[in-house]
Amino acid sequence: MELISIPTIVGWLTYSAFLSLMALGITLLYRTTKVANFAHASFVTIGAYVTYTLTVIFSSNPYAGLPVAFCVVGIVGLAIFYSVLEPLRRRNSPTVMLMIATLSIDVLLTGVINIHADYLTNIYAVPSRNILLSSSDFKFLGQPGILFVALGTLALCTAGLYVLLNFTTLGIALRASMENPQLAQAIGINVSMMLAISWFIGGGIAGVAGALIPLWTEVNPAIGTILLASMFCASIVGGLEQIYGAILGGFLLGLFDVVGTSDLASILGPWVAFYEPVIPLIVLSATLVLAPRGLAGISIRRKK
Amino acid sequence: MDALNLAILFTVDLLALFSVYLIIDIGLNIQQGITGIPNFGILFAVAGGAYITAGLSTRLALPILGIQTNLDPISENVSILQLVNPVLSSHPVTAILLFVLFLIIGGAAGTIMGLIASAPAIRLREDYLAITLLAFGEILNVIGAGYTPLIGGPPGVDLPDVLAWAGEYRFYAASFVLLLVAVIIYAFAGYVIKTPFGRTLKAIRDNETVARALGKNITHYRTASIMFGSLLCGIAGSLWAMYSTAVTPTLARFDWTFLPWLMILIGGMGSNKGTLVGTAIVVTLNKLITYYKYAFVGILPFDVIWLNYLLLGIITILILIYRPEGIVKETSQTRQPSARKTASKQG
Repeated sequence: MELISIPTIVGWLTYSAFLSLMALGITLLYRTTKVANFAHASFVTIGAYVTYTLTVIFSSNPYAGLPVAFCVVGIVGLAIFYSVLEPLRRRNSPTVMLMIATLSIDVLLTGVINIHADYLTNIYAVPSRNILLSSSDFKFLGQPGILFVALGTLALCTAGLYVLLNFTTLGIALRASMENPQLAQAIGINVSMMLAISWFIGGGIAGVAGALIPLWTEVNPAIGTILLASMFCASIVGGLEQIYGAILGGFLLGLFDVVGTSDLASILGPWVAFYEPVIPLIVLSATLVLAPRGLAGISIRRKK
Repeated sequence: MDALNLAILFTVDLLALFSVYLIIDIGLNIQQGITGIPNFGILFAVAGGAYITAGLSTRLALPILGIQTNLDPISENVSILQLVNPVLSSHPVTAILLFVLFLIIGGAAGTIMGLIASAPAIRLREDYLAITLLAFGEILNVIGAGYTPLIGGPPGVDLPDVLAWAGEYRFYAASFVLLLVAVIIYAFAGYVIKTPFGRTLKAIRDNETVARALGKNITHYRTASIMFGSLLCGIAGSLWAMYSTAVTPTLARFDWTFLPWLMILIGGMGSNKGTLVGTAIVVTLNKLITYYKYAFVGILPFDVIWLNYLLLGIITILILIYRPEGIVKETSQTRQPSARKTASKQG
């Protein structure tokens, strides 16, 4: 019995790259706005539908949707920040209220996405659910191109974020707003604008991740919601206070999810595959049991 | 006359849904409003109550009614119910006893789910907890779909109709029974909130350090709060299963987590009366939208159900921004606490 095969490794790397991209955005937004962004599910789905809509209307290459998805979802993030989170932040709303807010944004965007999907079907007479574009993907070294593009995008986003945060004035202002908003405000940094920029970037990265999904697995309006538990799990396992931890978390969770499921299924029988959605929860619980202080008692989140 | 009939049917139908949601919201309010535990996974307890009641119902009804059969209670569920339901409709007392038994099972299932959910809830702070519980909420749908002996996998399972004794008035009787249970629970929750137990929960919410200094065992009280809230959610799940007499592993986060949160938010968190008001408003609104959406079919190039999502999402955001305390503000039972609060701020 072969426990690690090439397709398993390809599946693991691709899935992990997706998870890492999604978790990266969640961690970034958590660091800046101190809120668990449940709307990340919809951000990802919007990215996926941007790609699909472009291929339907302009019959373009699916990869051409990447920059468009980044901008579209980034702007959605900006709009959400200025219309919902900024007013709530000014009111000093408690964390729970902010979380309900992101949850309701998710509900709102779910409505928008489904309306868009119905609209596509009714106006362009194309399927808008269970879409898969992997047939138009290229092959490289005998492997699907999405593997390389997903890993490349992840590397690009991480490097971009690293350069932005460490080598630019904007990045230093951003980091100052994360570490100590009051002090940053006092020395003249426009904290609200910094947070807005983080929402643009965080949303954009989620959009990019989403834009690649149709090349990897079937897309329907619930795809983001299905992945939500996994992306949050990756983000938490990596440590919400460490932006680059999200990447570690993504690959770790991907390993458990893809390799763990396929190996267990080959040992215990195919029924195991049914319970795959439970794996992120087990990983999440295990992390929280092994490192409850590291995850629960982070000083950055503590209000004075 | 026709319009009146329609209005009566609409209201009776509404009352059943209202009762189920009222019980869930009371359970959620005890956790979030009174104790300050943001349970974004009440779906877990609701689904626990519904699925476990559904899974056990036929299995338990057979020996209790003394029906001998070789059919499998889950996979050949429909054929069995053809034997069970006529017996139930002619034995009202047994049917009512079964109803009570299933309620107890639902409550017990909910309590167990609450105990499981309390493991992270006593360890983690607000946001980690909310994420974990939100993820927990989905787990029973996965198990329900994957483990067929529970509720038969994705197609779901039917329940014996324990309200069949009302015959042609079943529709009215069901709403009445559900409302009765909800009213009893509402009164009981109102009482519990005023007891020392309820006041301790509020103290923990408002100032954990002070509560601990007064010798209260925080872990104990938080666990008790989640278990009590989940007990109610389990009862509601069980009621919903018995009312609709069919359960599939598809209870959605939107219906059974988001809507209850919206209800207690609109009504005003921490207030039992507010919970009642909020539930009434959202259930009526939701029902009206689903009722009138057919008027738009054909006019709009999309399924009108999504307007429901748009509208409820926007309403929630507006409330959060403009009236986060809800319609009914929580009343403090004495003037003392507010005076003490100012004193502690100055000191």
